[in-house]
Amino acid sequence: MNLFTPISWNDAGFILTGVLNTVYISVIAIFFGTILGLVLGFARAEGNKIVNMCLGGVLDILKSVPLIIQLILFSTFIGAMGYPLEPFVAGSIILSLYTMAFMVEVFRSGFDNVPAATKKAARSLGMSYWQTVRHISIPIGMRSVLPSWIGVGLSVIKDSALVSVIGYMELLRTAEQLISRSQQAVMILVGVGLFYFLISYPLSLYGKYIERKMTR
Amino acid sequence: MDSYNFHWNVVWDAFPQLLGGAFTTLHVSVLSMLVGIVAAVFLALGKMSNSKILSFLSSIWIELSRNTPALFLIYMAYFGLGAYGIHLSPYLSVFAALVFVNGGYLAETFRGGFQSIPPTQYNAARSLGMNSVQAYRHIILPQMFRRIYHPMTNQFIWSILMSSLGILVGMNDLSGETQRLQSSSFRTLEFFIVAAAMYYVIAKLVLFAAHLVSKRVFKGELS
Amino acid sequence: MKLVKKISMVVASMAAIGALSTANADALDTVIERGALNCGVVLDFPPMGYTDKDNQPAGFDVDYCNDLAEALGVKSNVINLTWADRIPSLISSKTDVVIGSTSDTLERAKSVGFTYPYFVFKFQVLSKKGVEIDSFDDLKNVKVGAAIGTTYETEYFKYADEKGWGRDNYTSFKSENDAFLGLYQGKIDALVSTNTNIATKLASGQFDDFVAGPYVPNYDDVVGIIAKRDEIAWINYLNLFLIHQVRDGKLNDLHVKHFGSPVSEDMVKALIENR
Repeated sequence: MNLFTPISWNDAGFILTGVLNTVYISVIAIFFGTILGLVLGFARAEGNKIVNMCLGGVLDILKSVPLIIQLILFSTFIGAMGYPLEPFVAGSIILSLYTMAFMVEVFRSGFDNVPAATKKAARSLGMSYWQTVRHISIPIGMRSVLPSWIGVGLSVIKDSALVSVIGYMELLRTAEQLISRSQQAVMILVGVGLFYFLISYPLSLYGKYIERKMTR
Repeated sequence: MDSYNFHWNVVWDAFPQLLGGAFTTLHVSVLSMLVGIVAAVFLALGKMSNSKILSFLSSIWIELSRNTPALFLIYMAYFGLGAYGIHLSPYLSVFAALVFVNGGYLAETFRGGFQSIPPTQYNAARSLGMNSVQAYRHIILPQMFRRIYHPMTNQFIWSILMSSLGILVGMNDLSGETQRLQSSSFRTLEFFIVAAAMYYVIAKLVLFAAHLVSKRVFKGELS
Repeated sequence: MKLVKKISMVVASMAAIGALSTANADALDTVIERGALNCGVVLDFPPMGYTDKDNQPAGFDVDYCNDLAEALGVKSNVINLTWADRIPSLISSKTDVVIGSTSDTLERAKSVGFTYPYFVFKFQVLSKKGVEIDSFDDLKNVKVGAAIGTTYETEYFKYADEKGWGRDNYTSFKSENDAFLGLYQGKIDALVSTNTNIATKLASGQFDDFVAGPYVPNYDDVVGIIAKRDEIAWINYLNLFLIHQVRDGKLNDLHVKHFGSPVSEDMVKALIENR
């Protein structure tokens, strides 16, 4: 029985699956997190006190409980209710909601940044409420949030590593399995770190570049 | 919920253990925050210094900490260093990783806060007859502190939540104790629900404390 | 009025049918209808479960999953779990059954359903050469570790607490593999695991600098297959499956395949007696 075998080129495909799985779940979480965050951010910026209190309470829980606990709780709970979900699906749902919680604040501040005078001017030009939202609030509000949006997106890519705890074979869990088999911890870990860095660093540079361009 | 019946008494029996775990969680996050702040001050100064080497070294720390997952850093501190015969305990591995990340993030916060204050204010203070120390003490630092206070609170909350990754290196923090208890008793939902509630309460208490401090220190004028 | 009565009767009978059909669909039917068995195995516990060089599941427990699937006439779908994942995976119906060397404690049996025992382990110490561990009491003076939440961790704690050692020299690990990696790297001087896992690790050539030490005194680790507690019919089937594994010689074949020796009479006797 070959219990311990060194890493070989045969493992390239296995690692690639892990890489792709990390990318998939990050893209999904950012996509849904953004859409939900945009809608709820708008509701928070425009809504009354009651809407804000209810939304705030739920978002608060998402932001005050560790992601790892949310993942385990949700995946166990939903299964106990009789709806077992694939780790990928359960992970996507929680990671999307977690992303949403942070995106809401990003978009809310974007909407808050649109000067009331501009909106009033649009209304007095004869635009309806939704026309103002569509042509004034969204284009102006969204421009200012791009750097923070990238910031949240980056943290989601990094946090996606936690979905491994419910059994999703993303990059870090693949790496772990290879470490167990080969006992070569450093080489594999450095490779994993390099991958995250290569994705994350250029994006963060781009975010800074936009931020600088906007403040100028 | 046809297949699951809650047995809460198991959780109450183990409550002292959970509280002990919660204490470790708070302990490691407070300590990593304090040390992280010190590290961040040096990193921010290093990054803004004229020395190319200092600035470069600070950048490496800052960018590595900001662009790799905390989970990866904890593994690296535990099994990565372990391969070279440097054996950190689970507590120290989590502590080291959190300090590394807190330092990197806070350095950028500090730098941003410092740069947001126009240099003309320093010049104005000097022209009013203050010396350099007085200008920093009375004009620059109070404004800067006001601006970085909120991001610092957020970073603290982040530390508390991320210390839960101790579960993956067998640390005896709140999440680790939860994992041990659920594994030997098999009451998964109960223990994780209580753990989630405890994290929530800890985060809220910290926010409340931060709010009280800000009220005292800034008299309510936070920017 | 008549119409209302009729409608309510229809609704009531439909509800009754619905309730009946859900009540009838127990795990055994579900598995057969699905055509696949979702079987949880802990893959970091060789030779019971591990991943081979093609990163595929292998081991004694994996073969038991395959035998069970074959008996049911369905496809075998092996799901990789850590020790701590076993219950959540059952509760969340990710797995129909976990063949994962689960010690049949009465505490755990309050939460899940156990079958008859299917294997018996001894808990043993593995230590670095040069670290003198002649009896279990010598563990007091060295750095010792084990996987979190396992029965041997509990047993070690019980022993240590009885002797008043304290827990300062103890480190827990997330998984069995992490514990062995920790020992390999030198984080700990000795670990507690099962005799089977230790023997396999020693035979692998990777752990030549380590020696197997004493057993945990007076303790047999009797393990069963677990399933949801209320799936009586399913557990019944699993019990019969286990009897057939012994009777048809499959247990012996797999023991030879994974341990290199026929199953001992003591073990067979223990399995039968513990029924």
